[in-house]
Amino acid sequence: MFEHPGRTANRTARRLRAVSALVALSMAAALAACSSSPSTGAGASSHSTLIFADVAPFSGVDAALGPIYLVSCTGATNAINAAGGILGHKVACMSKDTRGEPADALPAVGSLLANTKNLELVIGCTSDEAASVVPLLNQKKTVMFCMTGQSEFDHVKYPYFYRLVPPDLAESYAMTVIAQKLGYSKIALAFGNDIGSQTFVQPALAAIAKAGLHVVANVTLDLKATTFRTEAAKIVAAHPDAIMTEALGNADPTLFAEIKQLNNGHMIPLIGTSAAISPVFYTASAKAVGAAQFAANFHADNLVTATSGPAYDAFTKALLAVKGKVSGAQTGNFTTYFTAPGAVHLYDGMNLAALAMVAAHSTDVAKWKPWIAKIGDGVPGAVVVNSYAQGLAALKAGKQIRYIGPGGPTSFDPYHDSPGIFQIDTYSPTGAVLVAGSISAAELRAVTP
Amino acid sequence: MSLLLASIGFGLITSAVLAIASVGFTLQFAVTDVLNLAFAAVMTAGAFTAYLVNQAGYSIWLGLVAALVAGAVLSVLLNYLVYTPFQRRGSAPITLVIVSLGMALIIEFGIAGIAGGVGVSYRMGQGSTVKAGGLVLTTVQLVIIAISLIVMAGVHALLRYTKLGKAMRATAANRMLARNCGIRAGRVIGITWAVTGALSGLAGTVFAIDIGTFDPTSTDIFLVLILAAVFLGGPGNAYGAMLGALVIGLSTEVSAAYIAADYKYVIAFVALLAMLAVRPSGLLGART
Repeated sequence: MFEHPGRTANRTARRLRAVSALVALSMAAALAACSSSPSTGAGASSHSTLIFADVAPFSGVDAALGPIYLVSCTGATNAINAAGGILGHKVACMSKDTRGEPADALPAVGSLLANTKNLELVIGCTSDEAASVVPLLNQKKTVMFCMTGQSEFDHVKYPYFYRLVPPDLAESYAMTVIAQKLGYSKIALAFGNDIGSQTFVQPALAAIAKAGLHVVANVTLDLKATTFRTEAAKIVAAHPDAIMTEALGNADPTLFAEIKQLNNGHMIPLIGTSAAISPVFYTASAKAVGAAQFAANFHADNLVTATSGPAYDAFTKALLAVKGKVSGAQTGNFTTYFTAPGAVHLYDGMNLAALAMVAAHSTDVAKWKPWIAKIGDGVPGAVVVNSYAQGLAALKAGKQIRYIGPGGPTSFDPYHDSPGIFQIDTYSPTGAVLVAGSISAAELRAVTP
Repeated sequence: MSLLLASIGFGLITSAVLAIASVGFTLQFAVTDVLNLAFAAVMTAGAFTAYLVNQAGYSIWLGLVAALVAGAVLSVLLNYLVYTPFQRRGSAPITLVIVSLGMALIIEFGIAGIAGGVGVSYRMGQGSTVKAGGLVLTTVQLVIIAISLIVMAGVHALLRYTKLGKAMRATAANRMLARNCGIRAGRVIGITWAVTGALSGLAGTVFAIDIGTFDPTSTDIFLVLILAAVFLGGPGNAYGAMLGALVIGLSTEVSAAYIAADYKYVIAFVALLAMLAVRPSGLLGART
């Protein structure tokens, strides 16, 4: 029980030395782990597999988004691998579920950065989580193609952030133009209470006023609520000509069913955002109110995408090759993915990144990142290529290239935004996406406050 | 005025679904001494069981029967495989609450893993719309209200007029004394898990029918409403749970009609807090 003080001191010293050794070992191990971490993009070891990570909601109210991007990722990386890979590397997709919550997204991305070897590219990063994960990814020098339309990214420089979709306020203006074109004057707004949906509301209110239309109801849908009967009653009582809406998950389909019930079995025309161009959204909405009635009453803005031609053929071939093989993407009409913004534009983003690596002869992000804009926007004398395989062949032949994929040509601004031009989409009763019209830049400017 | 009447109608629907769940939850809590936060997850399991039956081409009403059975079986298994071993080891009530929370997540994410995280719907029509004054209800919603009334009457009959009901009440009041009076408390508790589990499966299915599109996490917020209804009425009191469900259902929908719908749950919980401050034992609980 009692020991000599000197012996105790010796034991303490031994313990201290042991603890010091353990700490030193742990630090060495941590340093080793850090040095092998790919998140700084210092270049992958030869023949190792490069990772494209789909950072998006796979659960929660926006759970439909992650699988759309994963279909695109799997299709794109398969096509890249079939063409020989990138500089001798195969490419693989991985998914990280953000649950659509900033608080869940941060640890998910932290774990992705800490544990993923050869992470070359992040795709996804929707408005749900972009505000929390973009600064972190940017700090870790990870190139990302994001699906957020939040205006905070319009004029803030994140050198590793790229966006091939328009800012949300432009979508709000596009929805207003659709309402004008269809002759609607009394508009109801029904947007979810998530960050991504709420960003549409103020621009929509301003654009509707500028266009001389009237907002007769403006309801916010709590995405965690299970029914929206009272909100539906308010909308029906306001007798709108059309409803502008984005409330993903179960909210919109539930709202539509309740509106139909309260409106004597008739739907009120709906104008959705490009996020509504998804097989999951169509399937749920068609089940809620009937496919024919939904298709007859629904329009959405969407970016112009190719519907034919070599870029479209390569894209659809890549996606059809993974039909039925991607978890969570078995719902609905698969052809909807051919126009789903997340599938089209992220496919282009991945091809741009892959071709940039080939052009730079390196997987070191510092070397290949500058090539994204060069290949996307093109340089004088560049030959146009419409797929990774074409681009690879042209680069091997020593040519300069300009990649134009199914999402159309890019034109990156200093903030790495490349907003496209809008079209008006509808659904057929079978869930196929149909182009119902276009929106010119002048029409968009006319409603811009 | 028409919006008020319409919102009362909507409140009645919410109350009808909530009443089935709240009565099951409060009976389970009173007799078994387990505040089972996995109750809503069992509801989800019931709803998805009905979905499987419905997808196989059978009527949703047959699916509802399957959900009853699934809820009962799952609840009995939860008791025997999870809660009873913890109770035997003398775990504190708060430990069981945490365990039940863990089971809720396991069940929910298990279902999500199998069925996917996206919303699904039953193949069924909502029937014709019935209008009376400002009330606007579909035939299916009227059927849900009828089911709820039948369940409430059944629970009343069970508790008042059957030996099992009296044994349940005795076990809830004082388990040791009930045993000393010859009541096989263990058996009563087992049956209670089955009965309340069946109510959970039933509640899950009518909940899913009512909301139209549901996913594995749809009952999360509903669990909070169940807790509110149960504690508003008086925990462990079946009649209190019925009354609590009516108050919560009506207050959420009527308040949504007149203030921003975002606040409808806030209003319900302010009412609950006010009640707990004035009368902690709830509306029908014994005065302390």
